[in-house]
Amino acid sequence: MSREVKGMTGDEAVAWAAKLVNPDVVAAYPITPQTIIVERYSDFVNNGEVDTSFIPVESEHSAMSACVGASLTGARVFTATASAGLALMYEILYVASGMRCPIVLAVANRAFSAPINIHGEVTDQLVCRDASWISLFGESAQEAYDETIISFKIAEHPDVMLPAMYGIEGFIVTHALERVETLSKNQVEDFLPPSRVTNYKFSPDEIMTFGSLVLQDYYMEIKRQQEESMQKAYHVAKEVMEEFTELSGRTMEILEKYKLEDADYAIVSYGATAGNAKAVVDRLREKGEKVGALKIRLFRPFPSLDIYEALTGIKAVTILDRSATFGSPGSIVQTDIASALYGRENIPTLHGYINGLGGRVLTLPEIEEVHEMSKKYNEIGMPSTLDWVGYRE
Amino acid sequence: MEKKEAPDEFKRWVNEKWGTSKLPLGGTVPYHTAYAYKTGDWSAFKAVIDKEKCISCMNCYYYCPDAAITMDDDLKAECDIEFCKGCAICAKNCPADAIEMLRVTR
Repeated sequence: MSREVKGMTGDEAVAWAAKLVNPDVVAAYPITPQTIIVERYSDFVNNGEVDTSFIPVESEHSAMSACVGASLTGARVFTATASAGLALMYEILYVASGMRCPIVLAVANRAFSAPINIHGEVTDQLVCRDASWISLFGESAQEAYDETIISFKIAEHPDVMLPAMYGIEGFIVTHALERVETLSKNQVEDFLPPSRVTNYKFSPDEIMTFGSLVLQDYYMEIKRQQEESMQKAYHVAKEVMEEFTELSGRTMEILEKYKLEDADYAIVSYGATAGNAKAVVDRLREKGEKVGALKIRLFRPFPSLDIYEALTGIKAVTILDRSATFGSPGSIVQTDIASALYGRENIPTLHGYINGLGGRVLTLPEIEEVHEMSKKYNEIGMPSTLDWVGYRE
Repeated sequence: MEKKEAPDEFKRWVNEKWGTSKLPLGGTVPYHTAYAYKTGDWSAFKAVIDKEKCISCMNCYYYCPDAAITMDDDLKAECDIEFCKGCAICAKNCPADAIEMLRVTR
């Protein structure tokens, strides 16, 4: 097995992995911190290294619209965006999933304006949770590379046929130079079918009505189909990750459990924060504390039962959420975890911490402090808490 | 007048009221004209035309917003209940009082 290692930033890893996939169409608009993905990829197109038609568009709304049109013709389509760009795409995200276009979207997670900020925050992707897109998070440039490839396979699976987005945090992952184990062109070609399966092709030869008006009498049936496909996507994601583990020799799972087996306390996180959480677990384990970490890679479909199985028997869970939500009963991922656990037996208390907004760093000692807070909440019998941490009062 | 028919798959879909398990994904359907949309099932009223009273003025034919009035071989008005929404514009505009609106119960 070839295991070439290269130094790449997160963005470059996405572009290089996309190059191996060689999608038929890429329509994208540049926005920091996603820019390098599009820059590198347009280099590949310009140098004739890929067969992709690159559509330079005038906005993200147009980018996603072009992707939908291209995808309906049966093309394999890729795009990338961030923050305000994703927000501008939001309307068309629903069109993409509603018309069953398995587009793959790389998100360089970035904070929303105002105040304007270009740094890492995951709110942009989390608020797209109801758009019927498969949603994944990556911790490192390596995972950005790997998830680019698996996203196509999950999205295009005939049982799924839904678009997929995967996020890496702006600058923290997108611009950090890291070690990436690459795959060969042959390996990716063996893993991913050369073209995708389509039910209908938008073409002059097949006369079909696409995007028809569907009112009270059929709309709900069409939406319910999306939900059923989303449920299937959970199983497909598991299968594809197993297959990818075999291909790459790197374990990839919908949840990463780190020293959880005998743990009394757990730190739950996703994306880049997961690296820090694991480092804190190591530090606390050295002090003799029974702590583990859980990383959520698959956010939609939300793996409720897997999360319950991972967290049952634990006393208190610290949830590190790098996303802002206001007036909410919990941080975004915390409320999902709470729903997944509610009413089940032997469940932990849940302590959500909104942190790291706009690229603010939550240091390892700060995570330890937060973990101590969770323990105290648990001791005084508070089942669910939400705090902001890492800001000046 | 010749009516264009919808594709068989679409007719079955409409007649059998297909659900989640059978409908094509994403609302993508075979191409057809408006003839395939039997929109008359929205209506609460239907127009009943007394052909004896009809004076063939064709007011109803032109006023009908849904082109649901057709003229038969004797140039008497007919109502196509598969498209009639029961708006009663025809009845209001009939100078011969030949059109009566009846409540539809389903």
